[in-house]
Amino acid sequence: MPNLFILTLQLAVVLAVCRAVGWLFQKIGQPKVVGEMFAGIMLGPSLLGWIAPHASAYLFPASSLGFLNALSQVGVVVFMFLVGLGINPRELKKEGHAAVLTSHVSITAPFVLAAFLALFLYPRLSDDSVHFTSFALFMGAAMSITAFPVLARILAERDMLGSRLGTVAIACAAVDDVTGWCILAYIVVLIRSEHSSISIWWTIAGILVFGLAMIHGVRRLLTGFEKVYRKKGAISENLMALMLLLVLASSLFTEYLGIHLLFGAFLMGAIMPKEAAFVRYVLDRFETITVTLLLPLFFAFTGLRTNIAAVKGPEMWMYCGLIILVATLGKLGGSTLASWLSGMPLREAAGLGTLMNTRGLMELVILNIGLDIGVISPALFSMMVMMALFTTFMTTPALSLICPKDLLHSAKEESSDSIPASVSLQNGQGAAA
Amino acid sequence: MSHTNRNFVIAYTLLVGLPLAGLAGVLKSGHSLRAPVAIEGTWKIDSTSLHTAGQSCEKAVSALAASSFLISQSGKTLTFTLQNAAQTSGDGSLDGTSVNVPLAVTDSAVQGCAAGQAVVLTGTIQPDSDPRSISGLIWVAECPACATIQFHAVRQPKAQRGGH
Repeated sequence: MPNLFILTLQLAVVLAVCRAVGWLFQKIGQPKVVGEMFAGIMLGPSLLGWIAPHASAYLFPASSLGFLNALSQVGVVVFMFLVGLGINPRELKKEGHAAVLTSHVSITAPFVLAAFLALFLYPRLSDDSVHFTSFALFMGAAMSITAFPVLARILAERDMLGSRLGTVAIACAAVDDVTGWCILAYIVVLIRSEHSSISIWWTIAGILVFGLAMIHGVRRLLTGFEKVYRKKGAISENLMALMLLLVLASSLFTEYLGIHLLFGAFLMGAIMPKEAAFVRYVLDRFETITVTLLLPLFFAFTGLRTNIAAVKGPEMWMYCGLIILVATLGKLGGSTLASWLSGMPLREAAGLGTLMNTRGLMELVILNIGLDIGVISPALFSMMVMMALFTTFMTTPALSLICPKDLLHSAKEESSDSIPASVSLQNGQGAAA
Repeated sequence: MSHTNRNFVIAYTLLVGLPLAGLAGVLKSGHSLRAPVAIEGTWKIDSTSLHTAGQSCEKAVSALAASSFLISQSGKTLTFTLQNAAQTSGDGSLDGTSVNVPLAVTDSAVQGCAAGQAVVLTGTIQPDSDPRSISGLIWVAECPACATIQFHAVRQPKAQRGGH
């Protein structure tokens, strides 16, 4: 049984610290979510556990972490559903060849560079229970992800959603996330099959059947939600509960199949109807509690697993610097080069590269999965968390430097029709992640 | 094929196709890499004995005996925690199959007895045994007259992490 006093105290402290640090970060021009990510790290062994070990042990006893994790995972399940809901693959088609090339290069460049880096890091930061292929693929997936919701938030705050840069960035980030999660699903299956009696081929066949059934069968049924919304302008509580049940069922199914429950939640969101008003309505219903309470718990839980002290000595800090450098070079450099070659002016191309380098909460979700399945070690986890924080933190100042607002406004050319449904993330609490 | 499409195909091949071919090469060459022996997890000590009974510090060193210990591993870097009353821990290293961990002993009896010398855990992993095992000593550095603990431990099956 959970100690309710401790659990409630944890909720209160996490909520207060995340709101306070998020507010402070907003004051320095950063998205609130970056502050919340930092707040999570502050509550862990890297700061609170270091300066006040007794307070830390009282507030976050080891026996309580299971409950905190469970609550935070519920939040991440709903969040992944919302991320999937906000993604509209049609946006990429509208942007043509330039977006296709930029999107694919923004995945392959960091992926391949990360695989090269894995050649160096594997003998130093991994162990022989992890195959090199799994390690390299995981590093690639983790470095090629883009935080779609943070990106939408930054674009909204800078009034860039309607610009060419904004729409290409949103389209590319959507493709990056879908691709990144597909690769990650494969890695999870690969690693779990090593410890399972069921053949990997059965698992892959099961996932394919499930995916096809969802895309070609369940998706059609889901249009019923949109029809009801269009007819009545609202969705009843019973129907919202049914939607949530479907998310949970899909999550359970992917967990049962041997991948992670987050994939099911993401897939359910991705196949939901994409009519902008409907998507906004659903986001509004789910976002408040998820973003205000449950996601900060996830940040806190991630912070409790992140120990900057695990990065010991100049050698390890050099590895950390190398990770940040490769991640930035691959994502920012690759996206900039591809979009510039596709005909985008250099300054805008660099702006796009900067936006694509935003990793945010999506990176933390992936890293937690990696640590759970044992593909990355605790020290590498801490280094990658620092990389996620660094690349997310640098986005806003770098963008201000590369693409001043007046330059972007002159380049604004798209109508409001092209603004993706995820723009609801701009309404305050939707700072989502 | 139009001019634009041809340029797209060329750019796509150069920027996406070639790196993917490089990835295949990296994955192939990585197979020959050797990572450190995996020793992360809980180890159950199945035998402990005072290797040099009757010598000084016997009582204090005996207090370090534990029923199990935890290892957190990041490559060759280890964090070691003995599951004794004081939860004695230390950061150590793995070199091949040899483990070396200077323990941060907070017990004043041991500190006084060892006259400021470090208490060290050393061991050798048997990587081919299933489950993996380790044999080693807990001893006071630069004190040949001090008692030492000899131990043998077996790694416990790993519970699937993350509650999945």
